[in-house]
Amino acid sequence: MRNTDRLAHNAFFYAIFAPALIIILFLTTYPIGTILRDSFYEYDFIRGTRFFVGFDNYRHIIGEELFQRSFQNTVIFTFAASFLEVFLGVLIAFLLYGEFRGKRAASLVIIFPMIISTMVICAIWQIFYHYEIGLFNYLLGLVGAGPVGWLTDRQMALFSVILVDIWQWTPFAFLIIQAGMGSIPRELFEAARIDGARSSQIAFRITLPILSGQILLVLMLRTLDTFRLFDKVYALTGGGPANSTQTLSFFIYREGFSFFNFGRASAASVITLFFVAFLALFYVRKLLREDD
Amino acid sequence: MYRFRFYLQRALFWIALVAFLVIIVAPIYWMVITSLKNPREVISPIPTLFPHAPTLQNYGNVFSAGIWRNFYNTVVVAVSSTATAIVLAFLASYALVRFRFPLKINRLFLIWVLVVRILPPIVLAVPLFTVFNQVRLINTLAGLIIAFQIYTLPYSIWIIYGFLKSLPLEFEEAAMIDGASPGRILICIVAPLVRTGVIATSIFSLILAWNEFLFALLFVRTPRLLTLPVVISRYIGEYSTQWGELMAIGLMASLPILIFSNLVYRQLTQGFSMSLK
Repeated sequence: MRNTDRLAHNAFFYAIFAPALIIILFLTTYPIGTILRDSFYEYDFIRGTRFFVGFDNYRHIIGEELFQRSFQNTVIFTFAASFLEVFLGVLIAFLLYGEFRGKRAASLVIIFPMIISTMVICAIWQIFYHYEIGLFNYLLGLVGAGPVGWLTDRQMALFSVILVDIWQWTPFAFLIIQAGMGSIPRELFEAARIDGARSSQIAFRITLPILSGQILLVLMLRTLDTFRLFDKVYALTGGGPANSTQTLSFFIYREGFSFFNFGRASAASVITLFFVAFLALFYVRKLLREDD
Repeated sequence: MYRFRFYLQRALFWIALVAFLVIIVAPIYWMVITSLKNPREVISPIPTLFPHAPTLQNYGNVFSAGIWRNFYNTVVVAVSSTATAIVLAFLASYALVRFRFPLKINRLFLIWVLVVRILPPIVLAVPLFTVFNQVRLINTLAGLIIAFQIYTLPYSIWIIYGFLKSLPLEFEEAAMIDGASPGRILICIVAPLVRTGVIATSIFSLILAWNEFLFALLFVRTPRLLTLPVVISRYIGEYSTQWGELMAIGLMASLPILIFSNLVYRQLTQGFSMSLK
């Protein structure tokens, strides 16, 4: 190739790569840089000034009960929701192993919860959870139990939010694990049976070890996704009652958009990023290894 | 004995299946029937499985309140942000597959794209709000379309990149020898070859953008410009007794998505295990 040709060739690739690169840098790299800087400043929103405070924002937030509560709730939600979803997904995949009539139709129904908008789902569950007109309290009344304040009782609220997430995302775990099970050759199970293995032995010694990669992947995806919990808290409880459903995302949202404490919001964001990075390290390495 | 065990197993299987399906369908069924109940029946303390006097009153009310406008906003934002993401992702992925940028940019960029998919979006929302405000993108649908690239672009890049990487070089080389320009090769040769990947990515991206809540809530305030998820969240907060109307909007917001369930299922089972979120 002549020199000018090579130049044109290179210019073409730079030109088609640039738009996506610029958008990504603008939407992610720049904001993260801003957060890192802002977390060391205190903002006076009324006067429009800011001054450097060092690590004060971090120190104050970490010492606050509300932040600790938000962190604790996020961790509880993340682990409870993702582990239960994967556990139930595996269980149902085992129960529904094999071919049956109407499998395709059933599978179509099964993906409904994860493609419907979270807001629609929250609206429906608001009615279910309603203290006076809700289906749950009505059913409890039928068996003689008293009504439960699903979203208004401090002990119950976080659990109720977790339950909605489980309803929404267990089908996702189920489908992926079911697909994994479907790709295990049947001969393997038949051979094990002929050798005299019991069903439980087959499950724990053969199926689960083969599926372990898939189970881990779903678990990671769910962990990363549940860690950012915001929508459901916003729509179901608004962080209440008595901050019992506050999460990290909700804490940042309130500091940034209700109180305009950009310094504190940024410090909370940096702490959140730190934990996400920790979770993600594993995930990114795994996906990149698959890529090579 | 064996016969008994066999029947027991079959029975367990069907019980599990029916229970699972009922739990999944019940909330959706509840949404449909509640949207058909009149206001008095909705707030009755004894919930009814079938509406006593089915009525379309709720739908009439939300239509006359101008819900079409919000429906239209949601369509515009979902379609435009998907189209933008697909075009940019296709161009960038092709460059990443066929060209080595200096300083290991190829690999760094791909890692960064993955990282972005993992970030909690609220972390980006606070600083972005300030920037969008300065360039007057707050309270515009264009602003939302750009902000949604945080979700749709990394996702589309990762999937389309995967498709392009598995493409053999021969077609492009043949076209090059015939004297086709790189732009022509890209549009006439490469684009048709990754059609299936583009369709799959578009569907997931459409669903993502259709349901997005966080930026839609924070970056748009004018009622006329709201998208459906935000309208729903306002209903939950403000008119908390209008359950029938709320469910009518919910159903309207869900129907266009449910049409895609067949396609989504096929993609999921074809090994797109990582790609839903």
